[in-house]
This record gives sequence, structure tokens and C-alpha cells, in this order.
Amino acid sequence: MRRWLPCIWVAFLVSVPLWMRNQYYLHILISTGIFAVAAMSLNLLLGYTGQLSLGHVAFFGIGAYTSALVSLGFDLQLSEGYTFVFEPRPVWLGFLCGVAAAGFFGWIIGRLSFRVRGAYFVIVTVSFAEVVKLVALNWVDLTEGPMALNNIPPVTLSFPGLGELTFWKKEPNYYLVLAVCLLSYLVIRRLVFSRAGRAFIALRENEALAESVGVDVTRFLVLAAVVSAAIAGAAGGLYAHYIKIVDPDIFLFIYTVTMVIMVVAGGKGTLLGPVVGAVIFGILPEALREAARPEVQWIIYGLFMILIVFFLPDGIVPAVSGRLRPRLSPARGDTAEEAA
Amino acid sequence: MSAPAPALSVEGLEVRFGGLVALSDLTFTVREGQVAALIGPNGAGKTTAFNVITGFLRPSKGLVRYRGRALDGLRPNEIAARGVIRTFQKTSVFGGIPVFENVLIGLHRRGRARPWEILLALPRVREEERRLREEAMEILSFAGLAHRREELGSALPYGEQRLLEVAVAMAAEPSLLLLDEPVSGMNPSETAGFMKMVEKIRARGITILLVEHDMRMVMGVSDLVVVLNQGRIIAEGPPAEIQRNPEVIRAYLGHGANRAGG
Repeated sequence: MRRWLPCIWVAFLVSVPLWMRNQYYLHILISTGIFAVAAMSLNLLLGYTGQLSLGHVAFFGIGAYTSALVSLGFDLQLSEGYTFVFEPRPVWLGFLCGVAAAGFFGWIIGRLSFRVRGAYFVIVTVSFAEVVKLVALNWVDLTEGPMALNNIPPVTLSFPGLGELTFWKKEPNYYLVLAVCLLSYLVIRRLVFSRAGRAFIALRENEALAESVGVDVTRFLVLAAVVSAAIAGAAGGLYAHYIKIVDPDIFLFIYTVTMVIMVVAGGKGTLLGPVVGAVIFGILPEALREAARPEVQWIIYGLFMILIVFFLPDGIVPAVSGRLRPRLSPARGDTAEEAA
Repeated sequence: MSAPAPALSVEGLEVRFGGLVALSDLTFTVREGQVAALIGPNGAGKTTAFNVITGFLRPSKGLVRYRGRALDGLRPNEIAARGVIRTFQKTSVFGGIPVFENVLIGLHRRGRARPWEILLALPRVREEERRLREEAMEILSFAGLAHRREELGSALPYGEQRLLEVAVAMAAEPSLLLLDEPVSGMNPSETAGFMKMVEKIRARGITILLVEHDMRMVMGVSDLVVVLNQGRIIAEGPPAEIQRNPEVIRAYLGHGANRAGG
């Protein structure tokens, strides 16, 4: 039964566009999926290595901008007489460049903060996000600044002998996002249940002890940062080619906070936690939109968050799986008390 | 009797914290296969010496060698990679995860899987994972914790947490094991059990250096005792000799000499 459950879920998700004809609902699912990918990536750092990246949206934005720029092309006047012209490239290449660029900046952040933990790691990541935002705002030649990058081409896949498929409609975008979600989930799952994942957890649980048994903590923190940033970059790429416009508002702090809320509410350090969190906090605002005015909405949103943190300090997923396996639940209660 | 080769040599170690001299001119040698104990009153510099040997602290002067190679400038994980593994004075386990996973982390050094191999889920990786899990079970049985494997590290009673620390350290394949007050807070029967475990560890050919206040334990298991007082060595020798040394009795055992009788 346990083995079949994931397959049933995937089959269900694959079937959604076949019976859900409402384009608006599909749109909500697509943006929820993009947020789920971003939240999963944040969870790798926050939930497993225990390091809070409060500038995570920077990686998302770098992925979005890079992917958009590579597929749009750009020119840069490097000196009086020389202008560097970058021809538009296929979208899939742009997407991969976005992933790579985000991963590269993840590497830099990981290296920079090789000795900083806790609050200092938070400061490094927040500052990084602010710097990236300022660059996006002010390097108008490249990013168009506040005018935004417009007319970003949607994803196009060409099948030899069958012609091309351009993802103008919601359905193919839904499948694309679903595929990236599943791939990210798989990558994180494999990492977490391995020697590398145990090194992440060792850093979270007890860094000195981890070092004393030979774990190269810095190296594994860099690995986690690179993978996490790259996956966030993939989410950014999905966003850019789906929404088709990218402006510096993508770096707003509120998006990082939303990701953190999704991870914490869903259950940090669990594989499904960020997905559950993204589904709840992706769909909830849309669901409330018809029922309540925005001000009321935000209050409900906030209350819900407080209730979750208050009654389920480990998040929803551990609470539910704790119910299923009561043997482990008292022990979990102990850790929660210690953390408080 | 020919003495075994020196394993750990500490040469002229000095540590200063601002104006305070925590260690001064500390020099001693532990030979392969020996059990050595570092004793002394609180604040004598025992844990400081451990921190320097394992790379958690940089000395102001002096050098630590292990098997002939200088350890200066190495980070703790690099020193661990040379087989020098420690436990901590304050109980230190991975509290939020099960006992079994604690030992698996300890086995980190025995794993070889690289990140890209893990992402591709190569058969080699799965094979290694299976092997590590078997080894983790063996180590848990060795430490007598097999029945606790699914419990969280922090949920174990104190004595068993101390055993878990040793299990995690043993998983890291030490050739020199440093134990920092392993039996502090244990009751006499737990201590006796722990002494048996030290014998078992030694039987595996592992050199042991321990810091301990429990004299029954120190005198019972060690071949060599080094006595520190206020950062300096005041005596060094086999336990029987140390117990008779008047300076040791004055500095350290003074008001509790009867405890050392065992």
C-alpha cells in the first residue's frame, strides 16, 4: 500500500487537466507548483542543514532573469566602440542557464558563509538578495530595470519529425511544472537519504560532533546551497516563461517569507512538508479571494499561520505522520520542547 | 619488553586565553595500543588539551603529532580523517534523529559515494548504503544499544547517551580514541559496564586517551597516567606510581585520597 500511494498521487496529478477545464483553477495549480518547487529548495537548506536562507528569492530571481535574458537575447555596450550582442537562444537552453547561474550564486554564498551560521547566515543571504535586487533595478542596459523584461517566449519543445509545441496554453505548462516538481522532489529525496543528506542533518543537529567524526561540514553546506539554489533557479525559470514578464519586484522580501511560511507550516526537514505548505498557502489566498476582502484575507492567513505554529510546532506533515505512527510521537514532543 | 611505537606525541603545548595560561609546556607521549589518562583538578587544562589535539583550538605554541605527522593547522574533520576521534565532556549526540541514524552519521568516513553518484542512484551507492547499515547495526550491538535503534538520541537516558557517543565515535573508525569524562554522572554499575567497554575497544587495537575524574576508572583501565595541575604536568607514570606520588596526592587527591585506593 505504502509503495503504491505515491504512484496513485502522481497519476491523480497527471489526470487533473483532463477533467479540470477551468483555466483559472489550472493557473492557481501552476503557480502553486512553482511555489512548491521553490519551497522544496528552501527546505533543503532550512530543514536539513538548519540554515535559514532569508534571501532565497534571489536564486529564484536569478533563475528567472537569466532564463529570460538568454531566450530574449540582449546587447551590452561594453566600451565606446564595442557592443556585445547576445542572440536569442532556445528557451530550454535559457532554462538550463538559469539553473546553472542560480547554482553558481548558491556556490558563492556557500563559500562566503563557510564559517557563518545562524543569524549571520541569515544576514549574508538577506544582504545578497538586496544586492541582486539593486542590480536588477539599476543595470537598465541589461535588465530594463523597472521597465521589466517583456514578451518572454514560452517554453517550446521541438520533436523531430513531429514539429514544434509551444507552451501557450495552461495544460502543457501544468505538465511542465509537474515534471519539474517531481524531478526536484526526486533529487532532494535521493540526496537526503544518502551519505550527503546525513551530513546535512549532522550539521543541523550538532556541528561540532559532526566535525569530530570527520564530516567536512563546509563542503556539504556548499553542496546543499548549490543544489538548493539551482532548484530555486529552476522555479524562477518556470515562472519567467509562464508569466512572460520579469521585473525587479520578483525579489520582494515577501516572496521569501512566503516560502519560509510554506516550509515551516508544512514541516521543515520532511520531504512532503514544503509541498503541503505550498498547496495550502498557494491555494488559500485564491480561495479566500471570493469570500473576503484583501484585508480580511490577510488576517485569516496570519491567524491560520499562528495556529499552525502554535499547535503543530513541527509542521503539518510530522503531526500527521506522528498520528499514523504513535510510537514515535512522544519522542517528537520532547524535541519540540527542547527547541522551544 | 620493547615499547610500542609512539602514536600521539604532544610537544611543548601552550595555550593562552588572553592573560590566562590554560596550558603550559605540555609534553607527553601515548604509545600504540596504550590506554592513557589525563587527570587533574577542574580547570587544570585537560579539556583544553583535548581541544588542541582534535583541532578545535589553536595552540599558542607547540605541536601535536600523530603517527609522526604534525596535526597543526588541520581542521577537526581533517584530524578525524587521520583516525583521531574524540567524544565531548558535555554529552553530545545528534538529539533530533534516531539512534541508528546517529551511528550512520558516525560512519561518514567509511562512505565513498559522491554527490553525482547519489543523484544518479548508481548500484554502487545502494550497495554501499546497505553495507553501512549493516556496520551500523554491528556497532550498535557492540555498544549494547541495538534495542534502542529507533529512538531519538535525545530520548535516551543519560547513561545510554554516553554509550551512544562512544558508538558514534567508534563508527568513525578511530585508531586513537579520546574520551572526555566518559563516565561522569554514571552510577557505579554503569561505570563498571563502561570499563568493560573500554577493554573491548582496546582489544580492537585502538589507542585510548581519556580525561576522567573517576579514580576507580582511571586506575582500573590505564597504563599511563598524566597528572595536570594549573596547566602543567606535575607527574606522569603508571597508575601504581601515581597513586604514591606525594605531589599528586597533595595537589589533586589530597582530600579524597581514599577514593584512589581501588
